[in-house]
Amino acid sequence: MPASALFTATAEAAVNRILTLDEDSAGRLAALEGQRLVLFLDELPAGLTLIFSKRVDIHTEPRSHPEVVADIDTHTCCIRTSVSVLPKLTQTSQLTQLIRQQALDLDGELSIAQKVAALFGQLDTDPEEWLSDYIGDIAAHQAFSSAEKFKQSLMQVLGRTRAGITNTITEEKPIGVGKLAMLHFSDEVSILRDDIQRFEARLNALDKEQ
Amino acid sequence: MSDSDTTSPAPENSPGQQTHFGFKQVDKSQKASLVANVFDSVAAKYDVMNDLMSLGVHRLWKRYTIDCSGVRAGHKVLDIAGGTGDLTAKFSRMVGPTGSVTLADINLSMLKVGRDKLRDKGLVSNIDYVQADAESLPFPDNTFDVVTMAFGLRNVTEKQNALDSIYRVLKPGGRLLVLEFSKPASEHLSKLYDIYSFHILPRMGQVVANDEESYRYLAESIRMHPDQETLKGMFEQAGFEQCDYSNLTGGIVALHRGYKF
Ligand SMILES: C[S@@+](CC[C@H](N)C(=O)[O-])C[C@H]1O[C@@H](n2cnc3c(N)ncnc32)[C@H](O)[C@@H]1O
Repeated sequence: MPASALFTATAEAAVNRILTLDEDSAGRLAALEGQRLVLFLDELPAGLTLIFSKRVDIHTEPRSHPEVVADIDTHTCCIRTSVSVLPKLTQTSQLTQLIRQQALDLDGELSIAQKVAALFGQLDTDPEEWLSDYIGDIAAHQAFSSAEKFKQSLMQVLGRTRAGITNTITEEKPIGVGKLAMLHFSDEVSILRDDIQRFEARLNALDKEQ
Repeated sequence: MSDSDTTSPAPENSPGQQTHFGFKQVDKSQKASLVANVFDSVAAKYDVMNDLMSLGVHRLWKRYTIDCSGVRAGHKVLDIAGGTGDLTAKFSRMVGPTGSVTLADINLSMLKVGRDKLRDKGLVSNIDYVQADAESLPFPDNTFDVVTMAFGLRNVTEKQNALDSIYRVLKPGGRLLVLEFSKPASEHLSKLYDIYSFHILPRMGQVVANDEESYRYLAESIRMHPDQETLKGMFEQAGFEQCDYSNLTGGIVALHRGYKF
């Protein structure tokens, strides 16, 4: 069985699940009804097509990037970029700059990209509340406390990894992989750390609410 | 069915000639009604049994078919032997308001289960429901951009007639995708699969759907279906070009593709 089918099935289930956690996402999704985003990520062998209706369908795109661009219609936006740039797309003000830096190719209907950025960028989910629907308030709270401990350990590991990466870049550069690749990885680590810090702030807020 | 429904009766097959129904030999003129009995009987439990029998993997086989279909906004799609409409549901969202999907099936019970399911999902505006026999499709020549047939072809009495008929209704440039059980590529898998199909599957059918016979037919009809290369040859005989197939799950299922140019 092609792994791509499993991948898109999982991604589709996850995206739709996440969207149901945020009641307001329905309104943002409605603005995209009937439109589609074709996303080519440098790291993936094929493009992904996101089709918006009352839900999001995700499928492997059988055509290549040039083929999609050559045949684009007014209901479609096509983006080519890399995974590391994806989080930046939620800040629509950065799009022009990214295009100028050639970190992003954008064809077709720009407003679709902006609406997709809003759909995911403005997500307001409450994971503990969602979990408590399934396993009850106390268990959910305990799960989140454990997650907090796990996060602290992870932060320590990340801190060490970052220091290690800096050393590798400065001291082991001649035998290491390219500096750009390392910086790229280091940026990814920073993004992950920022995400965890946001998650921590959210957990603290939840603790205070109780 | 709905306002846009049309009905085409199954063609009369001349009595006297024999064909297989599972492992049994039956009169050709009887096969369609025997198949109809099977699907009348399983319609209500069809989706549950599909998930159970394949452990949910049928969803991935269908997803792969959809990925290979190249269906786009504005396309006209025919899902023949569409049954309870798994492919149709996806296609309906993919073609959008400017396209259309026709869910066609010979069996009214399956078509009704499909229609109710799709309506519950809020999919109404761009789907037509047509009771039709794949061997004599009631559509004008060159109508559809894409035709799909998932797990339907092995039930058809004259498979070559069905492929000819699909070729006729496809637009030039259009493609046919047939997803069907096929021949496992390895001997070991084949043996395991036999044990599963002939011993476990009918019992599951008995327990869940109270219908051992229909699920025994399912297993037998799979064994009687042409293997990958034979089916590819039949595609070519119908006039399809660039025909190929992909084995899924070790060849338990194969997706055949062909184009009309
Ligand atoms: C196993 S079901 C598949 C349903 C659906 N395509 C799916 O994949 O879930 C087979 C379907 O083929 C239909 N069928 C059998 N013979 C047919 C024929 N000659 N023309 C059209 N449909 C037929 C049956 O009524 C049944 O709904």
